[in-house]
Amino acid sequence: MTTSTTTFLAIPGQLLGPASKFQPGPGTHIHEANLYSSLLGKVHIAQPVKAPGPTKRLNKIVAATNPPPAEMPTISVSRSGSGKEKQRETLPEVGNVVLCRVIRITPRQAVVAILTCGDTVLEAEWQGLIRTQDVRATEKDRVKIYESFRPGDIVRAEVISLGDQANYYLSTARNELGVIMASSEAGNTMYPVNWKEYRDPETGMSELRKVAKPY
Amino acid sequence: MATAPLLVLPGDTIDPSLIPTHRKQPLRLGPGLRHIPPSEIVPTVAGQLVVDPKKNSMWVEYNGGRYIPSTHDLVIGQVHRSAADLYYVNLSPYTANAALPHLAFEGATKKTRPQLLPGALIYARVTLANRHMDPELECVSSTTGKAEGLGPLTGGMAFDVSLGLARRLLMARNREEGRVEVLELLGAEGLAFETAVGRNGRVWVGSESTKTIVLVGRALKETDEGDLTVEQQRKLVKRLVKQLR
Repeated sequence: MTTSTTTFLAIPGQLLGPASKFQPGPGTHIHEANLYSSLLGKVHIAQPVKAPGPTKRLNKIVAATNPPPAEMPTISVSRSGSGKEKQRETLPEVGNVVLCRVIRITPRQAVVAILTCGDTVLEAEWQGLIRTQDVRATEKDRVKIYESFRPGDIVRAEVISLGDQANYYLSTARNELGVIMASSEAGNTMYPVNWKEYRDPETGMSELRKVAKPY
Repeated sequence: MATAPLLVLPGDTIDPSLIPTHRKQPLRLGPGLRHIPPSEIVPTVAGQLVVDPKKNSMWVEYNGGRYIPSTHDLVIGQVHRSAADLYYVNLSPYTANAALPHLAFEGATKKTRPQLLPGALIYARVTLANRHMDPELECVSSTTGKAEGLGPLTGGMAFDVSLGLARRLLMARNREEGRVEVLELLGAEGLAFETAVGRNGRVWVGSESTKTIVLVGRALKETDEGDLTVEQQRKLVKRLVKQLR
């Protein structure tokens, strides 16, 4: 059914072939020795790369049933793109440094929306939490969220856990993590003065934040 | 203090001759005024513009609707429910509850802390109040560790008054500046009661006799609604006490 090289559309759960004939590639999974598609997309069959030189001579008795794995074609399913290879959505992983915007603050945590992961701007806004004990490395129990973040700040943080269904867990407990852009109560963009203060150039007022060390 | 009261509306321009000047102190703006750099001062509420040339400050006295918490205010709250290590306390209707930690009472440890039931009244001070978060309270002075009058209010009854009257009752010189003397007059007539005034527009009255509590509450309400002067308050007190006897 699938030995032809013409591509066709597979839906999730569609049987692609036996695991004895094909190697599973991205977008497929094995269930009871059969390959099934996991995605809705085009089916690609990649022929195995033949090793150069003469084939090794078999000098022991082997069961002549399945071809060895190196000779099986790889079957994969990819989401249909508009011709060019569409990148899969990058998701934040543990240890990634992300940029996020503070949405809401409560006495125990700050809720943020993760905007970029490394250099890639994410397509969807994932929600993250920065708990008070992860805001800084010293004096963790005496952190006041109102003196570290405010809603609307842009924060550089590190993902410490993939968390639960709703939130990633982030941390700003390093010198180079923290608030990188902030607006004052009067509405002007502020510039950092030291590790815990931003100043508004127009009104001269300072506001407390957990400031990220500029690179 | 202005001799003829000047009423301002939001957005009015203020005559520059009214703005006080001082050799040394910078001009301080109180509630109700907004500074637009470089030199504009605009009222944001409707009320009476008050100027204090000695302290070089100016503000607007207004009697407004909703109480907006600010730090170091004394308020009367009603406990709504108890959570992990907080009480949720309601300061004004239809607003978010304020958080009062279980241990923010005098001499409270994990084992000996006051058990407040929902509905209990407490007298507390606001510790944290800003636009972005729910307010937080304490019932103990963080510097001295003593209650100093704060804590649960047992017995008695709480009455709602306007924010303006609550502010005037809390003034140090309430007869001259606040023009409210009704509580002192009632005390001079021989009634025995105690009061707690919350900046959020609530006054708690406690006494042995229920009639006294009701009478004090009525006096406060009529002072508030009628906007009575000190003379009128005197007459009101005499009339009410006569009815009692």
